[in-house]
Amino acid sequence: MERKSQESSENMAEIAQVEQEWIATTYGKEKERRQEFSTLSGLLVEPLYTPRHVAELDYLRDLGFPGQEPYLRGVHATMYRGRPWTHRQLAGYGPPEETNKRYKFLLNEGAGGINGVFDYPTLRGYDSNDPRAYADAGRGGVAIDTIEDMAALFDGIPIDTISCSLVTCQPICNISVQSMFFANALRRGVCLADLKGTSQNDFLMETAVTISPEVFPPWFSFKLSCDAIEFCTRNVRHWNPISFAGYNYREAGCNAIQEVGLVLSNALACSEEMLRRGLKIDDFAPRLSFFLSAQSDFFEEIAKYRAARRLWPRLLKERFSPEDERSLKFRFHVQTAGVALTAQQPLNNISRSAFHALSAVLGGAQSIHVDGYDEALCTPTELSSVTALRTQQILDLETRVTNTVDPLGGSYFVENLTDKLEREISRFINEIDSQGGIVEAVNSGFVHREISDSAYRYQLSIDSGDTPIVGLNCYKMHEETLPCEIFRIPETFAIQDAKLKRIKETRNSRVAEKALAEVGKSFETNGNMMDVIVQSVGALVSEGEIAETLKKCAGTWDPPLF
Amino acid sequence: MAKKGGNIRVLVAKPGLDGHDRGAKVVARALTNAGMEVIYSGLHQTPEQIVQTALDEDVNAIGLSIHSGAHKTIFADVMALLREKSAADLIVFGGGSIPTRDWPYLSEIGVGRIFLPGTNTEEIVEYLITAVEA
Repeated sequence: MERKSQESSENMAEIAQVEQEWIATTYGKEKERRQEFSTLSGLLVEPLYTPRHVAELDYLRDLGFPGQEPYLRGVHATMYRGRPWTHRQLAGYGPPEETNKRYKFLLNEGAGGINGVFDYPTLRGYDSNDPRAYADAGRGGVAIDTIEDMAALFDGIPIDTISCSLVTCQPICNISVQSMFFANALRRGVCLADLKGTSQNDFLMETAVTISPEVFPPWFSFKLSCDAIEFCTRNVRHWNPISFAGYNYREAGCNAIQEVGLVLSNALACSEEMLRRGLKIDDFAPRLSFFLSAQSDFFEEIAKYRAARRLWPRLLKERFSPEDERSLKFRFHVQTAGVALTAQQPLNNISRSAFHALSAVLGGAQSIHVDGYDEALCTPTELSSVTALRTQQILDLETRVTNTVDPLGGSYFVENLTDKLEREISRFINEIDSQGGIVEAVNSGFVHREISDSAYRYQLSIDSGDTPIVGLNCYKMHEETLPCEIFRIPETFAIQDAKLKRIKETRNSRVAEKALAEVGKSFETNGNMMDVIVQSVGALVSEGEIAETLKKCAGTWDPPLF
Repeated sequence: MAKKGGNIRVLVAKPGLDGHDRGAKVVARALTNAGMEVIYSGLHQTPEQIVQTALDEDVNAIGLSIHSGAHKTIFADVMALLREKSAADLIVFGGGSIPTRDWPYLSEIGVGRIFLPGTNTEEIVEYLITAVEA
């Protein structure tokens, strides 16, 4: 296709010349309030963007139309004119009976889907009454120990029609918890093929982001993740079996470039593994999904989403030659950045999260969770949860930013920044490739150092005031009355302990032992672990028992601490 | 930054199953850069493990990072263990999602300063230097 530039080259030269004069005579007369203006990830930003900054852009080649290649302007043609992004607010605390109430409350108030978080013991593969779990049962999410808990969690919720996101974080949790969800669905007479939803199931979560001292070796964590992807590809067609958790890498400290670089490298590695297992790219790629942050640099985040949307299909086509256009769609959920919120003057967080959410909408997200204003203080209360949901509804219904698709398309600044980010992200992916791919980059500690170094640089910029945070390092209030209640987690340990004891006393112990033995056997024969665990959970074995069995099989890894 | 924290040994620890370790690692690094000897425990430490490490490493101070909301339970357990081991003179400080309304309770049981997320790391360094000298 012939390259057509928006402006002819003579015009471009004239613009450049006028720009130089303007800088010398008009702009240059006024003072700037910083030495340097840059994005959060360190890319320099110029005073003004003109056609000169997008001179290489070819509209049809580089921007195109939404719902088709290059997908820059949106994965669907109508985007929010067709339907809004899913308003998917997180919920999870205490015993499952309690979280079930919060699920119902949010659905009643207009939430479009379930977004379930699990407590720290569940995320780590410990039962609620494990000695290690004593202080944490019910904290950070809902406690799930057995399939009975899963049944209570979704009691009265139409899982055959509502899409359910299970924030299982990492494979040690996902392999049991997702299996329990599927097994419970079958018990309720719901076909697996009818289920719609997402699991996080990201091996980087347990090997590079928050690493337990008893962590699986990276190869096994990766295998478990891929077992779940394969299981869903064959049995649960409408399920997104993985949600590459860029949000969490970002919360751990990496920048926008590393965030997308890591999710795409992870996705490429999973794709290679699926192909190695004999699947075709179009069998599973349409269901690979992504989970990104919405941080405070408004335009960088928007450009980041757009860059990812154009880069992913480019990488797929280069490496795997997909034929189904659905494989090319970079579909993503956004959570507004928790780490950007402050404990000081918490009501300010409502503004912050609104700006974050707006960037996600202008960036074309498929679903969004907005953090509560009490994010830095406690698990969200009902009030902070519903306020966050209302932020989404106000954005959707009052601002009219949804009137047109990709409203910022064509902005000189946004297109220039999108291009720049795409180049930087590509460079980072090539760096990981040169390390032997993402699993090797984890083994060697490369990923840990990248995240850790970025986190430290960010804190130094806060310490120096170079990154102002209102209420934290500027506009501090020395006396503050906390304007909100602090959520108290309901009693969980005693309830779950009693349940587990009852279950272990009354279940058929021979069947339970056999179920766990099957898990071990599947490991020996390199079988798909989800195939067997979906069966095992029916024998009322607990997540802790499954995790213990897996740790005995695969051993643990000595990870880098930084 | 001048290396003024020399001779101070600090254990930065993550008790319980909370996995939010960004702050703990940043603080560990900042204290190291200020010249202190820092031991970072990694995740999932029990109060028993923390106290044992603190004694084995002969630290001056223990910093607990807790974002799970379990701070009252965990700090109380750590302080009780330190008393049991006659090490109650160790400085215990902390950080994380610990609301100010819980600070009086922590102070009563002998905990020192609590630092909210994003606290200027210089402030933590100065606090430790002053507290250890005292």
